[in-house]
Amino acid sequence: MGTVSEARGGPKLLDREGFLAVAMLMPAVLYIVFLVGIPFVMAVLFSFSDVSVGSPTIDRFTLETFNDVINDPVFRRSLQNSFVFTLFAQGLVLILATVLAILLNRNFRGKWIVRLLILLPWATPIAIGAINWLWLLDSVYSPLTWILREVGLIGAGALLGPRNVIWLGQETLAMASIIAIHVWRMLPLSTVIILAGLSSIPQDIQDAVQVDGASFLRGWFQVTLPLIRPILMVAMLFGIIFSFTDMTVVHVLTRGNPNNTTQVLASWAFYTGIEGGSLAKGAATAIFLMPVLLGVAILMLRVARRTEVR
Amino acid sequence: MLKRSGFSRRNFLKGLGLGGLVGASAVSPTFQVMAKPSQQVSGELRILQWSHFVPQYDRWFDPFARYWGEVNGVNVTVDHINLAEIPAATAAEIAAGEGHDLIEFLSPPASFENSLMDLSDVVQEARTRFGPQVGLGERSTFNPTTNKFFGFCHGWVPDPGNMRRSMWELIGMPEGPKTWQELLEGGERILNEQGVQMGIGMSNELDSNMAARALIWSFGGAEQDESERVTINSPETIAAVAYMKDLYERAMTPEVFSWTAASNNQLLIAGQASYILNSISAYRTLQKVDAPVSDDVFVTAPLAGPNGVSLVSQHVIPIYIVPNHAKNPDAAKEFILHLVANYNQAVFNSELYTFPAFFNTAPQLLEEGGWLDVDPFGSRPINKLQLLKQAESWSTTIGHPGPANAAIGEVFGTFILPNMFAKAARGEMTPEAAVADAEAQMNAIFERWAAEGLIGGGR
Repeated sequence: MGTVSEARGGPKLLDREGFLAVAMLMPAVLYIVFLVGIPFVMAVLFSFSDVSVGSPTIDRFTLETFNDVINDPVFRRSLQNSFVFTLFAQGLVLILATVLAILLNRNFRGKWIVRLLILLPWATPIAIGAINWLWLLDSVYSPLTWILREVGLIGAGALLGPRNVIWLGQETLAMASIIAIHVWRMLPLSTVIILAGLSSIPQDIQDAVQVDGASFLRGWFQVTLPLIRPILMVAMLFGIIFSFTDMTVVHVLTRGNPNNTTQVLASWAFYTGIEGGSLAKGAATAIFLMPVLLGVAILMLRVARRTEVR
Repeated sequence: MLKRSGFSRRNFLKGLGLGGLVGASAVSPTFQVMAKPSQQVSGELRILQWSHFVPQYDRWFDPFARYWGEVNGVNVTVDHINLAEIPAATAAEIAAGEGHDLIEFLSPPASFENSLMDLSDVVQEARTRFGPQVGLGERSTFNPTTNKFFGFCHGWVPDPGNMRRSMWELIGMPEGPKTWQELLEGGERILNEQGVQMGIGMSNELDSNMAARALIWSFGGAEQDESERVTINSPETIAAVAYMKDLYERAMTPEVFSWTAASNNQLLIAGQASYILNSISAYRTLQKVDAPVSDDVFVTAPLAGPNGVSLVSQHVIPIYIVPNHAKNPDAAKEFILHLVANYNQAVFNSELYTFPAFFNTAPQLLEEGGWLDVDPFGSRPINKLQLLKQAESWSTTIGHPGPANAAIGEVFGTFILPNMFAKAARGEMTPEAAVADAEAQMNAIFERWAAEGLIGGGR
């Protein structure tokens, strides 16, 4: 029996696989071209030019901008900080998300409430979340400092001294704070990804591990971890991209303070390009995100391909 | 609270007589002086400006602008955003070639010059109608290299000191410090004896930028000279940086390195600051939050440096720009003139936060027995703000003694000066090295903007 379209005199447009494939891919392709491709090409062109916020048209090409950028000590510090921020944040996210995913994979009362609570930081707009943290880490009104004072850790003769903790005014504390807040924000996504991986392990394999009497650690390292490694890689690579390109936490919490010691590439590109008015310098700064992002993208494609082959 | 006493018949009539205003005068519920536009205007007028620190200002401004539009057949819309977002929003609109007709900046927008209309005609007309404009207004909007007014300064905000009198009384200085040296000695004593620090920011934000410049100028240094040459590396600047290091070590805590635009207000309100450099915003906030404590806060004149120089930057400076892409520049220019004609209302509704760029438009502010002598917003004593009558004499704009050009704008926007102080205060560099480091960064910036043809024409 022929299909309805055949009955009407040949296949319709939507029944043609070639057309359907193009039609379904087109929105994604257009999105990438217009919101990623064109801005990226413009950023590359800008970085080799002398454009400013007041003259966003390219009059001449120059390498001077890169020379300026590389000789800028704040840029060098930002580059270093971007790696520190990403490595520490992602390391912590991966460990904590794995632990959380293991716990959430078990059955217990109120599991859905716990899952909901863990997802909340991801559902909250990051700007709002960061502003809340700004208050929590305030030098005067911080509830965290109040708690430390109440439990006797701050005060005359106390471990942390008599004065309030200046969370965002001291280099190490400020860096630790922005890393901790980024971890708080990224944890839900990684947890959900890893949880999906754990849920996909067939029950008979888990039963076999138990029947063989393997300890938790042995079962984890020799069975579970190899099985979820591809999905762990996906969580890690997504996390690296989000961390390396993020400027919201730094912009809201520290603006690079103290003394640009918490500045990262994305925030410094914004400050030089927009607030400083030198679009070319901002673009050239942002271009330095590319090698890392490119490397991560290639890795992600390889992981995806390997998973596909299996 | 808005008091109607500020808009007496006498004041209104005075306003009418300003600068030979002609044409029909319409009396709105807010008593607008309605000058007849010099040219026919119509269509849409889209205005973008900050959400004013004083909410009453926006509650007054929006209907004020719409009413002008109704009378003149222009459909006016006013969009408000956070002041920190204005440069980014403007950059996006300029790149798109689309957006608002009139945008208000709070710092000199020189880096946008090539995409802005020349407002020389509006400035000239305003001077004809309303008399002289404050010098810092011109230096913030006029580029001597291109001979262009890239913006129109309609107001400015003084940046005096704010001190908690009870704290200074206890150390025998009830009038507060008058020199930077007294600030150092008094601040140290208050910290040691009363456990309260002072707050002068050294971070990537507006107040720190202003404080850095005040200190440099008072010590005799400057970012650039009148010919727009970098002059930061001088013995005077090095002395200022060494002083700040001393001040930090003896009277402040690391919170000044994480300073935000709200930190001054927060610390003063919490009773955690003996002295801050700020506009009257912190004081006005305190009046609403805790009136009895606000009675203890007094504004003080700027501090004198080793050679007796007292100079501070304006705190913020409202400047209108008309981008090249503006669809209704004529209406934008006419509205600017209308606003200036009614600036007594702007000053009043900002609770005396904003001062006029054309003093003749708000005579109630400075006149004998006027608003600064008798604060309509309930100061105790009633003449607490009186010393602001001299504010113009000790205020200037960024880039002093030169213009607030694009290079100065980038130095300002990338916070090079607050960080110069912070590097020395945190012990990362000696004062000499910190100043040399800032100089190197500034030289690169100045060279880039000179190549663009926007600075250095006076050399």
